[in-house]
Amino acid sequence: MVGYKQQPGKLPFSKPGSGGKNSFSKPIEENMIPSSQGGKLQQPWGSHRHDSLVSGQVIGKDTALVDGNWKVTGQAHYGDDVRIKGELIGRIVRSPHHYARVISIDCSRALKLPGVVAVATGVDAKNKFGVLPVTKDEHAMAVDKVRHAGDLVACVAAEDEATAREAERLIEVEYEILDSIHDMRDGLKDSVEPIHDRGKYHIGESNVQKRVFQEFGDVSGMLSSSVASYKEDWVFAGVNHAFTEPHAVVAHWDPTGRLTLYTPQQVPHYVHRALADVLEIPMHQINVHRTFVGGGFGGKSDPFPHEMCAAILARKSGRPVRITFDREEVYWVNRGRHPSRIEMNLHADGEGRICGIETDALIDGGAFASFGHVTTYYNGVLHTAPYEIGSFHYTGARVWTNKPASGAMRGHGAVNSRCAVEVGLDHLAEQLSVDPISLRLANLLPPHSSTITGFRVTSIGMRECLERVRQESGWTKKFRKLPLGKGIGVGCGFFISGSGLPIHWDPNKFPHATVHLKIDMDGGVTVHTGAAEIGQGSDTVVAQSVAEVLGLPLDMIRIKSRESDTSPVDLGSYSSRVTFMNANAAISAAMDIRNNLIDATAEITNSNKQGLIVGDRRIFQKSDPSVGVSYLEALHKAQEDRGALISSGAYRTPPMGKTHKGAAAGLAPAYSFSAYAAEVTVDVETGQINVEKVWAAHDCGKALNPLAVKGQIIGSCHMGMGQVLSEEMRYSRNGSLLNPDLLDYKIPSVHEMPEVTPIIVESNDPEGPFGAKEAGEGPLLPILPAVCNAVYDAIGVRPSELPLTPEKVFNLIEKRCKSEGILEPLHLSPPSLNYSDLQTTLENRASEHSSRDYSRRLDEERSEYYNGALFGLDPSIPPDQTDPSWAVRVTPDPSYLDDPRLAGSAWKHTERRKRGEVE
Amino acid sequence: MPPFKLHSPNSLEEAIEISREISESGLEFDWIAGGTDLIPNYKWHINVKSHVISLASVSELKELSTTHIGAMVRINELASDKHTHPVLAKAAESIASVMIRRSGTVGGNICLDTRCYWINQSESWRESIDWCHKCDCGTGADCRVIPNQNTLCVATYQADLAPVLMCLNSQIHIASPSGKRSMPISDFFKLDGMTRNVLKPGELITHITLPSDSKEWQGDYQKLRQRESWDFPEAGVAVLWKSNTEKEPIQLRVATTGLESIPMLHEDESKSAMENWEGDSSVDELAESIKKAVKPVKNTWFSPSYRRKMVKVLTKRACRGLLVS
Amino acid sequence: MVQYRLPMLPHPDEIEWTAEVNGAEITLHIENNAILLDVLREQVGSLGTKRGCDMGTCGCCSVLIDGDPRLSCLTLATEADGASITTVEGLSDGHHLHPIQQTFTEFGGSQCGFCTPGFLVVISALLSENSSPSDEEIKSAIEGNLCRCTGFQQIVDSVRAASDILVSGARVEDSTSPKSDPHPGFGEEV
Repeated sequence: MVGYKQQPGKLPFSKPGSGGKNSFSKPIEENMIPSSQGGKLQQPWGSHRHDSLVSGQVIGKDTALVDGNWKVTGQAHYGDDVRIKGELIGRIVRSPHHYARVISIDCSRALKLPGVVAVATGVDAKNKFGVLPVTKDEHAMAVDKVRHAGDLVACVAAEDEATAREAERLIEVEYEILDSIHDMRDGLKDSVEPIHDRGKYHIGESNVQKRVFQEFGDVSGMLSSSVASYKEDWVFAGVNHAFTEPHAVVAHWDPTGRLTLYTPQQVPHYVHRALADVLEIPMHQINVHRTFVGGGFGGKSDPFPHEMCAAILARKSGRPVRITFDREEVYWVNRGRHPSRIEMNLHADGEGRICGIETDALIDGGAFASFGHVTTYYNGVLHTAPYEIGSFHYTGARVWTNKPASGAMRGHGAVNSRCAVEVGLDHLAEQLSVDPISLRLANLLPPHSSTITGFRVTSIGMRECLERVRQESGWTKKFRKLPLGKGIGVGCGFFISGSGLPIHWDPNKFPHATVHLKIDMDGGVTVHTGAAEIGQGSDTVVAQSVAEVLGLPLDMIRIKSRESDTSPVDLGSYSSRVTFMNANAAISAAMDIRNNLIDATAEITNSNKQGLIVGDRRIFQKSDPSVGVSYLEALHKAQEDRGALISSGAYRTPPMGKTHKGAAAGLAPAYSFSAYAAEVTVDVETGQINVEKVWAAHDCGKALNPLAVKGQIIGSCHMGMGQVLSEEMRYSRNGSLLNPDLLDYKIPSVHEMPEVTPIIVESNDPEGPFGAKEAGEGPLLPILPAVCNAVYDAIGVRPSELPLTPEKVFNLIEKRCKSEGILEPLHLSPPSLNYSDLQTTLENRASEHSSRDYSRRLDEERSEYYNGALFGLDPSIPPDQTDPSWAVRVTPDPSYLDDPRLAGSAWKHTERRKRGEVE
Repeated sequence: MPPFKLHSPNSLEEAIEISREISESGLEFDWIAGGTDLIPNYKWHINVKSHVISLASVSELKELSTTHIGAMVRINELASDKHTHPVLAKAAESIASVMIRRSGTVGGNICLDTRCYWINQSESWRESIDWCHKCDCGTGADCRVIPNQNTLCVATYQADLAPVLMCLNSQIHIASPSGKRSMPISDFFKLDGMTRNVLKPGELITHITLPSDSKEWQGDYQKLRQRESWDFPEAGVAVLWKSNTEKEPIQLRVATTGLESIPMLHEDESKSAMENWEGDSSVDELAESIKKAVKPVKNTWFSPSYRRKMVKVLTKRACRGLLVS
Repeated sequence: MVQYRLPMLPHPDEIEWTAEVNGAEITLHIENNAILLDVLREQVGSLGTKRGCDMGTCGCCSVLIDGDPRLSCLTLATEADGASITTVEGLSDGHHLHPIQQTFTEFGGSQCGFCTPGFLVVISALLSENSSPSDEEIKSAIEGNLCRCTGFQQIVDSVRAASDILVSGARVEDSTSPKSDPHPGFGEEV
């Protein structure tokens, strides 16, 4: 030990290559160290398994994105910024028809044009692909049929853009036009020529791609106990991600015959698989290089036909090929939020409990399946929490129509039905004459409980979100008390933090996320991860996790997340999984290295390793910080016999959930919760809504980077505001998309943006990295209903159609005026509220639940809690195992088909393979 | 961008000379001012000509004073110049976004091409609807808004400056190889969405002059749109008046934009309102009569019925200054 | 279907074009009807100037022409002939970032970063005209730029912070200055 006791302020000896700033280790920041470790960081939600890894470096501090300087200097290269010498420009020939059979394609005139190097058509790539293995229904280019205007027919590569565009015009395609369908309701009917043919799995002769039937809880009893109900037929327009970077791709076959595909992708691994299928080459022959991604939001997570086209053209021409979209083409690829028709029914009983939710969701999938299989489930199952409910009946159907395909978009499948639920709750509160926040607070599931569909919920910060929002917005002074035209409304959200099941493999065999670390003599840490940085800060959060565990400043971490050649397989950036899964994997990889360093330190200092802790670039005895070594000393010691330190860490979800068909949809290792209050001004003469202020509380478990969490919350508000106020993909009477551009696709400008107060609630999730959960998608959900409910508070009209353009609001106002015999909208009265006796009951129940929840979140030995306890059932046993009326049903009784709801009518069709059995 | 030859003259004389040469060789051309309207249209292959003459370097067209507004004055400059009539400045300030206003010009805004969901689309998009007769001449396409005909175009004029300039009774000045002419701006706009105005091939706007009494006119410009930035007016109403010493209006003009293929000066309606001015109730009647006078069609973001109803609200709001006495 | 589409060829005649781009005198042969954005990206090599919508809405292509922010996607290159053009690549002074570049990363002004060059160019012009703009002035200046990630709020925060730096006269640290020492001493330097 002698010799390792350092004098403060003295460098022990210099090491080669150590010259840098901050030559002295910073003392431990007690405020960053959790109280469970003897620090001063309060832990109202209890301790965490990662507490002992906190070194006080970066976790929980506002942190600039590690790739920020690339972006601000213009040196970040996105899809179209990849320039390879000798490149050709690719263009895509697209269908002018909504639905047609391709009779012939004549490329001869195009090929004769000087400068044209290669053309390709559907015959060049006949294998199907798709993001979900169960619904592969896409081709690189049309094989047989085009399914929407803008569908790919052929592609061409030429020396320059003008020649490529000219060649595009010279490719002559002969079509036989087929009857197209545009109204999603028509997709439920039998068709002479269904848009796809799924063989024996085809549902009748219809265009139903996926249908879901689910019943949980006491469905038959819900109506008898109901004293207040909400029923509304909602219509949601489709919206697009409208990221600022249009899709672009560069394909390059190198001299060894390997393909590198440069593409701004959220999910490089799926493209990797799809390319192998389509090109008929092994996956190891392909390197997928994710460029900087100019916004994703779910819209860059499918493998895309144009990516295949670039690879095919590059293969045929022997030259690199770059394809960049015009903005219009972004809308042809779409994968935006599904246009939907949702019938929402909510029932409350005399005690203000939500005794039933009945949802019927018909969603318009457009021409391809994309993520739609999952979306169909999400429209139902993702509103079975955060409230404890007496029964849940869901019928959902997704149909193909001749529109650009819908897919996954921020808040995947949860946004529209959540909006309907939260507006419905506002209506129930109105009918029951209670405060809508009190109603919610008296019906929340406790921490560590199970939802009616069997989701395992761990941490819940829902109550705190609602309470914070109520307090900070001045709710009690404003709700139902503001003058006509001014209103405040509340809405909540619930979202998955990562999807429980990896799509492509058995969850028990391979991890969801893997992170590799490599540290050599220079001391810098190279992190290999496949997490796709799309601007949300995934590189940063992975770097932060490693830095925290190793006690290093962020500038010593370098993230290599770009290439499939060097990154471990990762499921990419969707389902809000990256922070939860990749940071967990990164922590586990860093723990390995940390142990190496501690062992080395113990050896050098001849001290007991249990007493050693990791601080800022130093490992030392907790009891005597002067006994210790620098990070570089420990590293070099650890390297003595083995060279560079390497480690691998992985994350996989624990087994969970029920076993019924579809039980995996919506399963997640953790869930995020949020509550927003929005204050609006409505111009009662024009219907124009101005959202003035939003108080946005989100439970992200633990804000690893509060700056980024706030950015996600505010950005979600903006995007959600777009959907609620002005954004829609508007189709004409003949099915043409009228606004495939950024002028008529109306994203709110800076002037429409309210003042958002982000409120971070940290419920310290036991399985999340340092307690963290997602913050990228959940925060979008509450803004829609909060604005709708605020509009009601302002002018007493309940919207049921989005976007809520001034025109629609004006029509609602006119309707209300007419029904009340009022000539001048300015003479309308805003809604008012006199509490009923139930208000006190709810407040008392909320207060009891609050203490129940407080003890449950801290108690390690807590008991089971299954949804249903609020209705008098035994909380410790799944109710479907004790009460026959709570049985789970996933197919309808024949009697249901006598009078099905809209989407439910999809069950009238018989799957082809089962037809024999019935007929 | 389709190929065309660009000419960049440095003086008005040179510009007119080039235009004469092109016309004499039997070819067509477009003038380009700020480019914020023409370039998107060209990128979408809407009415592309083989020659384009840029006015960017023609300094004679950039003069700006209280009564003289050169055609090449940038909208931002007009909006921020302290001599600009306040209502005109308000209208200018409301145009599109600040970035568009930095490039866009007064002349270009007045000559803004009419707009329609079925025109302002890419070439391949228009192909998918079997073309549009306004911009795809020779295809024999029908109008998609008023179907089964291809003689009338109902594309909408969505520029903001014209109604204010009309109410200010400004004069528009035009030059061409065959000489100069001028007229009240209300006579400048003509017919339908295709013809748009009286400019003959080869003619260009050189400047606008405002009458010397324009400072005595006050009023307001009200505009309907979805967003505070970017959006074209779905309806725009300018109301300007001259008051006597008792602050009662003695002259009143109302003009609208964004509702038809040309901006409209509503002389009859204003006259009948002035004939028996009774404050509040006259404003109501005027607003109702303007609403009845406009005939929007379904080819922009909001529906025609909503836009008409809003014309009434906008007119009343533009008249607010008349009621504060 | 009959082909009515307009031809894209032949290529227009070329002209000589000179400009000072980010301080460097550049002479090129460009097609006479070329759009400035295309010239900057394809010929000058300013790939930091982004094409988002190509129609003047998103503002990603903004550059300074003689100090004035312009949409390069709607500007004919000839209009900038002989002009001084500043793109995002020209905002920093070597490795000293412009304050707005620094604060954009520190205050969350940039997420995916695709709209960032346009915002930076526009804001740098605002700040050089008015080093302490009000919130309203900031919003008016950026109303022509579209950001899909941030909801603008952290962009406005970044502008305020940059304004503070400018007003105080501080300078952003050179990004090449030494990073953290992996072999630090114990305690505080004395």
